[in-house]
Amino acid sequence: MNAAWLPLTALATSLLVVVIIFALPEDARRLRTTINLVAAVVKIVLVMLMVRRVAAGHEDIFSFQVVGGVDFVLRSDALGVMFAGLSSLLWLCTTIYAIGYLEGSANRKRFFGFFSLCVASTIGIALADNLFTFLVFYEMLTLSTYPLVVHKGTQQALNAGRVYLRYTLSAGVVLLLGAVLLYSLTGDQSFSSEEGLGDYVNDHRGLLMLIFTLLVGGLAVKAAMVPLHGWLPRAMVAPAPVSALLHAVAVVKAGAFGILRVVYDLFGIELSVELGVITALAVAASITIIYGSLRAIAQEELKPRLAFSTVSQVSYVILGIGLFGPFGTVGALAHLLHQGLMKVTLFFCAGNYAEELGIHRIDEMDGAGKRMPLTSIAFTIGAFGMIGLPPVAGFITKWYLGIGAIQAEMYWVVAVLVASSTLNAIYFLPIVHRLWFRSGPSHGKGHWPKEQRLGRFETHSWLLVPMVFTALVSLGAGLFAGLPFSPLDWAARVANGEYLP
Amino acid sequence: MMTMLLALALLWPLAVAGWTLWVACRTPAERQNYFSTLWLSAAWPALLLAYVGEAEWTIDAWMLGGEWSLNTLSRPWLAFTALLWSLAAFHARGYFAAEQAKAQSGDQGAQQRLLRLALLWPLTLLGNVLLIIAQDIASFYLGFALMTFAAYALVVHSGTEEAKLGGRAYLLLAVVGEGLILGGFLWAAGEVNTLTLQGVRETILEAEQGAWMATLLCLGLGVKAGVIGLHVWLPLAHPVAPAPASAVLSGAMIKAGLLGWIKVLPLGDELVSASLAQFGHFMLIAGLAAAFGAALYGVFQRHPKAILAYSSISQMGMMTTLVAMGLVAPEVWPLLWPGLVLFAAHHALAKGALFMGTSISEHLPRWPLPAVWALLALPGISLAGAIGAGLISKWGVKSPLYEMHHESLIKLLSWAAVGTAALVSVALWRQWQQRHQGGSNPAQWGAWLVAIAAALLTPLWLPLPAGSIEIPPLKEWLGIIWPLPVGILFAALGWLLTRPLKGKTLPAGDLWWLYAGIVRVALVPIRLFANYCAALKTASVLAAQKTEERFMRRLTPLLASESWLRHHASGLMMGLAVLLAALMMWEGQP
Repeated sequence: MNAAWLPLTALATSLLVVVIIFALPEDARRLRTTINLVAAVVKIVLVMLMVRRVAAGHEDIFSFQVVGGVDFVLRSDALGVMFAGLSSLLWLCTTIYAIGYLEGSANRKRFFGFFSLCVASTIGIALADNLFTFLVFYEMLTLSTYPLVVHKGTQQALNAGRVYLRYTLSAGVVLLLGAVLLYSLTGDQSFSSEEGLGDYVNDHRGLLMLIFTLLVGGLAVKAAMVPLHGWLPRAMVAPAPVSALLHAVAVVKAGAFGILRVVYDLFGIELSVELGVITALAVAASITIIYGSLRAIAQEELKPRLAFSTVSQVSYVILGIGLFGPFGTVGALAHLLHQGLMKVTLFFCAGNYAEELGIHRIDEMDGAGKRMPLTSIAFTIGAFGMIGLPPVAGFITKWYLGIGAIQAEMYWVVAVLVASSTLNAIYFLPIVHRLWFRSGPSHGKGHWPKEQRLGRFETHSWLLVPMVFTALVSLGAGLFAGLPFSPLDWAARVANGEYLP
Repeated sequence: MMTMLLALALLWPLAVAGWTLWVACRTPAERQNYFSTLWLSAAWPALLLAYVGEAEWTIDAWMLGGEWSLNTLSRPWLAFTALLWSLAAFHARGYFAAEQAKAQSGDQGAQQRLLRLALLWPLTLLGNVLLIIAQDIASFYLGFALMTFAAYALVVHSGTEEAKLGGRAYLLLAVVGEGLILGGFLWAAGEVNTLTLQGVRETILEAEQGAWMATLLCLGLGVKAGVIGLHVWLPLAHPVAPAPASAVLSGAMIKAGLLGWIKVLPLGDELVSASLAQFGHFMLIAGLAAAFGAALYGVFQRHPKAILAYSSISQMGMMTTLVAMGLVAPEVWPLLWPGLVLFAAHHALAKGALFMGTSISEHLPRWPLPAVWALLALPGISLAGAIGAGLISKWGVKSPLYEMHHESLIKLLSWAAVGTAALVSVALWRQWQQRHQGGSNPAQWGAWLVAIAAALLTPLWLPLPAGSIEIPPLKEWLGIIWPLPVGILFAALGWLLTRPLKGKTLPAGDLWWLYAGIVRVALVPIRLFANYCAALKTASVLAAQKTEERFMRRLTPLLASESWLRHHASGLMMGLAVLLAALMMWEGQP
């Protein structure tokens, strides 16, 4: 039985919300909030239904022909559902957070409209079954993120937006070129085809290499791989929920997910290994990991430090792809989820510090643990997860990546992992130390930059609840990684599908 | 029932930490009691567990698969660790009584410090208990990391500049150690895809690169155990930590490194490869170097707790030597390990009692001075091997070595004991010089007295396999006792010889200062290089912008031609139409 309505409805939910939100007047705050939340919950339910169907072995397909030889296809497979699950869960959290964050500010209609469009594109990216469908949603994501990045409308924000567009649009052109070359070579190529592009390798080796380079090069911009990462730290001027969206829910993840699709489903892992591009990918990822960590150490403001940490962490996913073998794949896939959970927590925390106390710089964080204990605990959990300390989820992925590296006999990758853990410790532990071990304004020394009392608890409860939730989930994902339907379990399921015919 | 108790032993410290936080949020500062009876009880379920029997517990849902068990090795280990933690908690209640009074009278700094300590103490304990009973890598690593990072609060408690230095040294080396352990575990576990410590041990035994995996793990765990070269945090952190924290640091936590070694190294296996045996020799030499070097350096210290820290390094050096024997001469290991466990347990309690004693000599109770001093000296004398459990544990180690004819090692260990005797006598002497009257609390000296008794009677309560420990025959006593008088003599001689120096001493932390210097020098070129890179980047961005500008300058004039096109649009169109018509006519011709 093919439930074609399922992927379509999942996509339509957020698209419909976009239309409704843009149709509503600016001051219909309550209605907008309700619609947003209801849609987010409905989408989680739909994705859960898809998860159940995929777990039972059904893959629902929705397709129609656009022009001859080019189809629009949505399909729910294990990998896509995984990404859809992550983004819909985090969408709910981020929406709740954004509602609290933007309370009383201007242009909320525009913000939430494009916000929903962003997530709709992400779902489209997750469920796209061929390169054409993928590209459509990928470009839609690029364009719908721009208004969010420049939301504040300041000169700095506009500059960041311009940089963002320069990077992503030129990447889009490169990607399009790759896609056109591929279509001219093979015609419509489904992500679900068993044989991959193996048939073409004898005659078109050079062309395939070129296509791979173009596709991955285009995707690497969104995945923020060095030296194509320049837009990400600049985009830090955006409001905190947008940063969460960029770093954890949608944009950066879309790049990494695209690379996963290209390597596993378009080219096929054997072909990628045969072309020799896999090792190049691992090397590029390692350079990004170390470079991002080094740059993060030098940052003095909280959000840029987190941004460079993202540059470094997202490449763990790419590194996992680069380790040819099931463990590396499990590590890569699990990290896609784990990094999302941990990073979204960290950005929520950074937003809370900025909103409640006006903290932007790291040296202003002294003793904030006393004033905002829950936020600081959540930050500590996220930071320890990023370092890769157990029991937070980051440890699980680091472990699988390390095992994968040893089994692929790439011993230098273990050195990269250990070095990156140490560097992460060097830039996260001082923050944790400041939070808990230094005395600051809450002990009667000096003042917070701009303190507001936003709520009955340490801050507005709409800002607090999603953060606590994601922190608990990132802790739980590590502590109970062995449970069925945990991120690790699902990643292992996807990897089994890739490696066992 | 056993499973329940195992779960309780792990969950109870967590519950205590949660309760402490809850109470701290609920009660006003004036009535805050950070060291309630509930807080004291954090280690009791673990202590009970160690005496109830052996148990095993597997949970698949836990991280990468949890496997916890209480076997012949982990039982005695848990027993002495939990006992020391319970006693140190009691001691802490007395030790911090004055600070608590200050906190209740409204000192915010004291409130913050005490809350931090009260919260992280049970968590550190939890890590320690978990790593003892863990049989899978993830749980062990979790316990180790939790203990390491939570103990930071114990080290920096006082918040002084020295404490910050000690904390920094502790944390830096801990991070390095964690990295090495992770590398070692990944390597060993990845080679055969195992998740248990037993699997790691087998890999190290069988794999070609086993010796290198062992090196990584040994160095990583060795940060805790104070292996020479990585020991520098001990003499920096111990003098600044509060006495009960020093007691558990030196007694229980550095033993975690030792336990880690015993768990991951294929000790006592006849099939040990040549390279592993070679590695064992290196370890042996490192152990002996620590045993002697720390004693030689430590006697010149001024702070009694720094001296005791050096004594810990020296003692851990001896234990390193004994662990190395498991690789060098595998046949002694089955006989040797109970002696080693007894050695570790006795050292834990004795060193705990000595560290608690430093707080007693700073707040002398109104007892006859000779009695107090005799009590202060007792654990030290026992540590040197002259009485009580010290005597028996020395014999427990010596007799297997005798049986297997390792006389030269026995001689070396005896001379190392001379160093111990010298260290404890110097420590006592420094305590005497820096003594203060009054201010002692019953909980403080009560816990201390119990610790002394427990240290002296260790073999009686330690749940070792029956018959593995025996009292030395009378004729051997002299051979065990002699280091004590010789050590005291050496200490006295040394004091006489160094008198002309007028109290100038070597700084605590020895190699730390060297490392710090090296890093400072090494950072200079790195910083220069980074500056150069930044300059290069700025220059290339500027160059790119300039190129773009030039390009745009070339491009803009084309706009003028656009307006020319617009101006002549109709004419051009006409021309085009004519051209097209001509083309079609030419096409149409036959």
